Amino acid sequence: MLTFTEQLVLLLNDEDGAPLPIRHDVAACALTGAVLLDLAFDYRIDTDLDALVVHDPTPTGHPVLDRLLVRIADGSEALDTRTWIEVLSAEEGTAIRDETQANLVERGVLTVRKSRIPWVRSRRYPSRDGKTATEIRAEIANVLGSDEIPDPRDVALVSLLDACEILPEIFPRQEMDDVRPRIAQLRKMELIGREVAGAIADIERLVIQAVRARAAQFQRLLLVLSSVGCVAALAILLAPSVPVGEQFGANFLVDLWFDNVWRQWSGYVLLGLSGAALLAVLLMMVRPIVRLGGYNWWRLAHVVLGIGALLAVFVHTGFRLGTHLNAALMVCFLAALIFGGLAGICSNAAGPLRRMGVSPQMRTIPMRLHILALCPLPALLIVHVLVVYLY
Amino acid sequence: MSRRASLWVGWIFATLVAVGVVLTWMTVGGDRKVLLAGEMTDAHHQIELACESCHAAPVFASAAAAKKALNKACRNCHEDELKDGDDSHPRKSFRNPRMAAYWEKLDARFCTSCHEEHRPEITLTGAVTVAADFCVACHSEGEQDVRKNRPSHAGLTFETCASAGCHNYHDNTALYADFLVDHADQPWLVPDPVHVLSARQRSQEPASEATLERADAMAPPDALNEQATLDHWAGSGHAAAGVNCAACHAPEVEAGAPLSDIEAAWVSAPPRTVCRDCHKVEARTFALGRHGMRQHPEVSGPRDATGSAVGDVLPEAIMAWLSDAPHPAHMTVREARVPMRGAAADQSLDCGTCHQPHAVDTKRAAVEACTSCHDDLHSRAYVGSPHHALWLAEVSGDAAAGTGVSCATCHMFKAKRRGRIVTSHNQNDGLRPNEKMIRPVCLDCHGLGFAIDALADDDLVAGNFRGRPTNHVESIEWAVRHAASADRDEDR
Repeated sequence: MLTFTEQLVLLLNDEDGAPLPIRHDVAACALTGAVLLDLAFDYRIDTDLDALVVHDPTPTGHPVLDRLLVRIADGSEALDTRTWIEVLSAEEGTAIRDETQANLVERGVLTVRKSRIPWVRSRRYPSRDGKTATEIRAEIANVLGSDEIPDPRDVALVSLLDACEILPEIFPRQEMDDVRPRIAQLRKMELIGREVAGAIADIERLVIQAVRARAAQFQRLLLVLSSVGCVAALAILLAPSVPVGEQFGANFLVDLWFDNVWRQWSGYVLLGLSGAALLAVLLMMVRPIVRLGGYNWWRLAHVVLGIGALLAVFVHTGFRLGTHLNAALMVCFLAALIFGGLAGICSNAAGPLRRMGVSPQMRTIPMRLHILALCPLPALLIVHVLVVYLY
Repeated sequence: MSRRASLWVGWIFATLVAVGVVLTWMTVGGDRKVLLAGEMTDAHHQIELACESCHAAPVFASAAAAKKALNKACRNCHEDELKDGDDSHPRKSFRNPRMAAYWEKLDARFCTSCHEEHRPEITLTGAVTVAADFCVACHSEGEQDVRKNRPSHAGLTFETCASAGCHNYHDNTALYADFLVDHADQPWLVPDPVHVLSARQRSQEPASEATLERADAMAPPDALNEQATLDHWAGSGHAAAGVNCAACHAPEVEAGAPLSDIEAAWVSAPPRTVCRDCHKVEARTFALGRHGMRQHPEVSGPRDATGSAVGDVLPEAIMAWLSDAPHPAHMTVREARVPMRGAAADQSLDCGTCHQPHAVDTKRAAVEACTSCHDDLHSRAYVGSPHHALWLAEVSGDAAAGTGVSCATCHMFKAKRRGRIVTSHNQNDGLRPNEKMIRPVCLDCHGLGFAIDALADDDLVAGNFRGRPTNHVESIEWAVRHAASADRDEDR
């Protein structure tokens, strides 16, 4: 039987054994939590009000679990569970993953595939028989897809995967929307509290809190940036144009907004930023590329480039919406930015919105409108540029 | 193909089609209104879809070539007007390499340096798109520094240069120093005020031997039965000048042809082009003003898509869709950007709008035709104004010819051409700036000082000159002082 830690390590890789685009510190925290849960399920550790204590120092037979059990037992001072999670995540996260993968290779569950590209030292850990990880995913799908009372270990694993946002990597978006109510139901079951020691419930709760706290840092940043972008785009749409002054001579604003050369430069910067923002999204669909930093960094790049494009819109137009085709272009562009910002808010404030009764379907509307507003943009942009050069 | 792939393909296809359609509109034919990059100025909005009138450079021409063609297009329509206005800053002066230092400041070789289209936000009066203090570019340093050259200008700021009654960039026919000095100390109203050319024009009698009587009308019987029309014609200038019905209704028939030929070639409603055959100056000048600028020969017509490269390739139906719609030949009152009477909204502007085709009553055309459409303060205030009273006196015969002041007196200049007094039908000639009407109109009756003050007083203009100017423009005093000072320097 695989431990929590082993299951999680398997699930942190894709079918080809390459790591999923999960933030390193989030994965480290989740792996630490998995180790502590393994130790708790094996009655090796316990928690009290002030500290995580070793209840039984007998080795478990799993090298990684035993090494960390020794470390906790040898701790010079008593640390509470939250602190141990912090310490072990920071110091042992990478080691837990590497050692567990090495152990699974040794046991014949995984194989190692080294990069064929010279000077690239990446390694992949595909499943030797192609079954183990698939079986774990099938088991999770079964837990989420049925109404039966699940095994407490499965509940703990699902909660951990949900906190790490690994589940969307396992299930397509549509299926994720379908299983969300079941995940919420599992969280409320308190199976662990009834059937196993309270230490497990504590550890699970604290691990999930820690994982969520890490993920929330990014979410907060994305939420703030999305909100800023949304409000700024709305302001550009509604604000009156910035006056340019009435003095002849070195009038920077007149040059900026009425000189053809300046407008070409600002236009191309705007085009570049918009293209880069679009590219960031398209690259998120290419798994080998998105591994460079993970989804969140690419999402951040997309949002930051979107805000950059918004600033470029201001530099290019000074809140002037234009007329005819230019007005259509401007409205489409700002609509794309406004709905993009709203989509970012819906995505990064999913919890509060859920509590406010906003359904998942409703939360996807801004994203659909964002994409819809983007559809005519290339045609409008090409025509806009052509008009400038042909007339 | 998966749904996602289908959507991508469909989107790319739709984008290419949309771009292709608009590109075809641009280069071949079709409605280009959606492509307008900004609202046009009042001067050009009537011809906004005749893009090639101004954008005359070939497609994908270099920026320099496009700019050159654009500026040539400006001159094609406005060069004569600038010459007539004795342009103070002619282009040729700035083309001299000696002036290269000024090109960086304000390149006066190009009209577009100061007049850019599609820039409504920064467009000032006169379609100027540079800041009102633009004179600072050249007249604030060196030999051209007016604050040193003219002590009277020492404390002035440059945004006041073009204040009414002071300076205009192009037209200063009544505002240059010598003229001001020569016309100093004139009374506000000259003794025996009369507009000389109007008086002479109205006193011009057609040769009596050419005058036609009612019985001389040669037209098909049906037309001769229209008694009112016949009466109008018999009392008109046309009949007085010997112009019979066939001249307009059967223009192809030679004079003296038998009635049968006239009947065969008879056109009940002749096109306005027949007016041009005789009234060449009037027709030419009509096309220079906003009433008739759509008929200006330099305004481009609709593009003929059938003559393009794709004309032989695409089906006729598509070519018809791609072709430009015919450009409207006439301005309509609805399209005007000045206040107009709602009842006249559908009125289009051609010769017959102001001149009843048979009556040819210039008196009606001089006032009622204008006030039947224009509804701005100045037009509304005309009726009952001192000028209107003078006009009524002249029309009723109580006052001499030329003493009345109609709308046309001020807005449609008269000039002597080849021994004949002709009326310019460019009613914009004396507007923007309105000082352009001082020499050809105002000075016949008023002193220069009064005329400058009156035209600079916006409220007085709006009230159609009921009363006296409330502000005084000191141009004449300054010019006199400067001349006296120059004389003293010369004496020394």
